[in-house]
Amino acid sequence: MAIEGADLIKAAAFIGAGLAMGFGAIGPGVGEGFAAGKACEAIGRKPEEAGLLTRTMLVGQAVSESTGIYSLVVALLLLFVV
Amino acid sequence: MEDLTEIPQFVIKILGFNLVFNVETIIMTWIVMGVLIFFGFLATRKMHFLPNPFQVVGEFLVGGFYNLTKDALDEEMAKKYFPLICGLFMFLLLSNWLGIIPKLSEPTKDLNTPLGFGIMGFFIAHHAGIKTKGVKNYLNEYFQPIFFMAPLNVIGELAKVVSISFRLYGNILGGSIIILIVSHLVYGLLLPPFLICFFGLFVGSIQAFVFTMLTVVYISVQVK
Amino acid sequence: MTLDIPTAVKLASYAGAGICMGLGAIGAALGEGYTAGLANQGISRDPKRSGEIVKTMLVGQAVAESAGIFSLVIAILLLFLGFPTTSMVSAMAFIAAGLCMGAGAIGSGIGSGYPGGEACLGISRQPAVSGRLTTNMLIGSAVCQTPAIFSMVVALMLLFLDFGKAPVSPTWAALLGAGISTGMAAIGSGLGGGMAAGACCQGIARNPETTGQVTTTMLVGQAVSQTPSIFGLLVSFILMFKSYPEAATLAAPMALLGAGISMGFGGIGPGIGNGLTAQGAVTWVARKVEASGVLTRTMLVGQAVSQSTAIYAMVVSLVLVFVV
Repeated sequence: MAIEGADLIKAAAFIGAGLAMGFGAIGPGVGEGFAAGKACEAIGRKPEEAGLLTRTMLVGQAVSESTGIYSLVVALLLLFVV
Repeated sequence: MEDLTEIPQFVIKILGFNLVFNVETIIMTWIVMGVLIFFGFLATRKMHFLPNPFQVVGEFLVGGFYNLTKDALDEEMAKKYFPLICGLFMFLLLSNWLGIIPKLSEPTKDLNTPLGFGIMGFFIAHHAGIKTKGVKNYLNEYFQPIFFMAPLNVIGELAKVVSISFRLYGNILGGSIIILIVSHLVYGLLLPPFLICFFGLFVGSIQAFVFTMLTVVYISVQVK
Repeated sequence: MTLDIPTAVKLASYAGAGICMGLGAIGAALGEGYTAGLANQGISRDPKRSGEIVKTMLVGQAVAESAGIFSLVIAILLLFLGFPTTSMVSAMAFIAAGLCMGAGAIGSGIGSGYPGGEACLGISRQPAVSGRLTTNMLIGSAVCQTPAIFSMVVALMLLFLDFGKAPVSPTWAALLGAGISTGMAAIGSGLGGGMAAGACCQGIARNPETTGQVTTTMLVGQAVSQTPSIFGLLVSFILMFKSYPEAATLAAPMALLGAGISMGFGGIGPGIGNGLTAQGAVTWVARKVEASGVLTRTMLVGQAVSQSTAIYAMVVSLVLVFVV
């Protein structure tokens, strides 16, 4: 099996896509989960404010998602553009 | 050991298409259906205030699931959906328990059964959502919070079906594989019955309950 | 130095056995130690109950041990069972099986330690409900072991299914990817499920009359936090059972390996995050049962958003397997 230049680049791109999305999903997963847990706690303390608390949780989670989306974009770039 | 992945199948060729029937799964499903119908007949035959044992079990199941459904949905929707939920739970419970009896095996060991129930739950939940919220509001939900999240929301809904079905399938199939392999290794009398009890009765009951509860919760999330 | 096939297969099966037991011992030991620590805390509160607390501790530790025992079973199978040696693909399958079971046992082992410890602490607080606490500890730990069971299923399939007829070149990466996918994804789900079960036992010890509602919320929360390991199982099945054409380039095997890495590591974070969410929700359902409806809904919404990165990872995996 002769390893050529173009083939090596493609192979590295695929592994890179896997690594990018794989490790990139760890952080947002834990962070958003922590935010949701604290939101549940807050709703437990004051159920009347559930709407406001849920909205704040969703906004916070959307911001926390941003690095996950960067990972997804890099992975897709590695797969389809490189 | 190779019979781990063998499925006895029965193929009919119609007009160039293959109709494939998984014989073992179908027969086991019929057995479960027969037992449930017989149980239902015995439980409701002559309902007194001093109930016979079958009626007690029936009332316990029906009452318990009505309360669970009422907690998640509201009163009149609960009345409409709880027969489905109760029936689903009884079917899954008996299916998961069927593996304990020597020559029988669980119908949920075949991917088709849990996947069928998952898809059924998906359609029921979304139908309830459309009926309650109207088509425009329902479609709008997919574009929350930002409009280009739409494909990801759709994938999320499909992922719910996948996760609910594969969880049940994986647990039941995994249990039966583990029992097979460990019995093959141990040749003894003490360990396998304990394992069968754990995986069949205990894990089977919990997984049937989790599947049912998740179906109720998915309906309630679509409806709220 | 050229390796002929039987030597390579033996080498791989011994290496796999080592990886399997080595990694698998981590989780169970950590979980059992945590249980013992909290049991001691409970005994220091209430020394008269030490007999009952030690009994509950031992039962909880036994359930946490089961992940380690799964690893031991796979390791012994790898060491002593003679395998048919038809191709080099089998060698990679054995390493993958060892990695899968070893990694998969970490999360479930640590996770099962939480409910055991909280149950022991709870007995010292409320001795009257010790029966209910033990039952809930067993239920929570058993559901928490599910990701380890998934890992064991994939490991056993990698051991016993015959891959000899498949071409060596992309299949070695597919099997390694299958092992990584389920093994790593089970870490997060095991931990997450354990956190939820621990919160359930703690809540019951505080408010015994809310047992039913708390157990239901715990089961729903645990079930959703197991979803990343289910995605890992799905990707593993796809990688194992798809048939591949012979690949002359390096790109095709690397794509399959990348798919396994993506789903495997991508399942860790969301699993832990969902567990944190379920922990918060279950704790507060125990404290305010009237709010349980809105708490369960919020927990599910939060968990669904938090799982989205697991879904991205699965999409990237599936694209790597099918499109590229």
